[in-house]
Amino acid sequence: MPKKVITICYRKIIDDSNLNYWDKFVHEDSFLEFKMQSQFYNQEEKYTTFAEIMLNVPDADKLHFLVSAAITGYLRQLNGIIPDILDNLGRRFLTFENFKFEIINSDINNIEKHKIAINFFSKPMIWHDSINDFLLVSQQHEVDEDEVFTNLFQLPPFVSIHSIKKST
Amino acid sequence: MERKNFIRSLMIGAISIPVIIEACKKSGVTDDSVSGSGTAGSTTSTNGTCTVAPTETEGPFPTKSPSSYVRSDITDGRTGYKLAAKITIGNINNSCAALAGAIVDIWHCDADGNYSEYGGSGMQSTNYQSVHFLRGRQITDANGLVTFTSIFPGWYSGRATHIHVHVYSASGTSLSVTQIAFPEGSGSSVALVNGYSKGLNGYTYNNADNVFSDDKTGIEIAAVSGTLAAGFDLTFKVNVRA
Repeated sequence: MPKKVITICYRKIIDDSNLNYWDKFVHEDSFLEFKMQSQFYNQEEKYTTFAEIMLNVPDADKLHFLVSAAITGYLRQLNGIIPDILDNLGRRFLTFENFKFEIINSDINNIEKHKIAINFFSKPMIWHDSINDFLLVSQQHEVDEDEVFTNLFQLPPFVSIHSIKKST
Repeated sequence: MERKNFIRSLMIGAISIPVIIEACKKSGVTDDSVSGSGTAGSTTSTNGTCTVAPTETEGPFPTKSPSSYVRSDITDGRTGYKLAAKITIGNINNSCAALAGAIVDIWHCDADGNYSEYGGSGMQSTNYQSVHFLRGRQITDANGLVTFTSIFPGWYSGRATHIHVHVYSASGTSLSVTQIAFPEGSGSSVALVNGYSKGLNGYTYNNADNVFSDDKTGIEIAAVSGTLAAGFDLTFKVNVRA
């Protein structure tokens, strides 16, 4: 099979039920930032939910971007490693620089309704082969080497191949 | 000592056994992602999947991290003439005396007239290191003052040079959304900066600006001094009801 260069997207969903500290901090801080920033688009205080604001206020889709500032400090704490996604040896192996933050639902009066997603986009990797349900990939390097170290992994839910191009 | 090491080696063995058992269970990672209600149509069956569990050292341990807006220098690598913005918040309900502990957000465009924002298309991603350039947040001191280090804003079609300000109470309740205008005319900072590389051809002056044109007394215009070489100092007061 010809080598292909792919990027992986992991869409990490965080809501009130997430228990680990990183997820909880991200959940709480993005909710506080949403409460603050949404007031710009809700100056008459007519709405309480994210859905209502999005439906009725032009430009309110900027809230995704504006609220994301609450969580970029937590992204830095990851040191460029995508969380949760493991290779078949049980190690985190995907690296990232790019992300996209989404508010899925929220309500200024109820943090339990606050649900967000962080899309992590991996750095480009070479997809060498597929073995049963597993993808065999390696980090993309500037120069071609005879021998490369590889990672074998299976795509879990909320993980997808985001982009693909033929290797040159 | 030797005994201690022996016991330690036993403990490592004991830890690795549950890991093997764990490896054949549904993964903790998968559980995290799928719990809750998900979004319509995006969840596929995980029935029967057999994935690995984490088998590496935990960490780095998360610590509470303030919003990335919270910083005095909001330049984030954007180039332009230096601007020091000193904004004082006064309380109208207290004879406009200094309001301490208020949260002040500012944001403005770069030398080319662009704001930090996503490009808009659904697939677009952004590097997390510098995504919120020229946006900042500070809390007023006992004198009601916040100070930001930035660059002199550029301009874009239809608007005079301006800085956005959003003032919140200490608890985050919105108190005022406003904009700061710049003085114009010969020798002014706007004339000196001369629109950076764009020039001022097609520039919208304050009296034609849809936000500032009704400000006949100049209450929205900041005091700005300085030179291109030394940079500019801006002072402005926002009075809010708190």
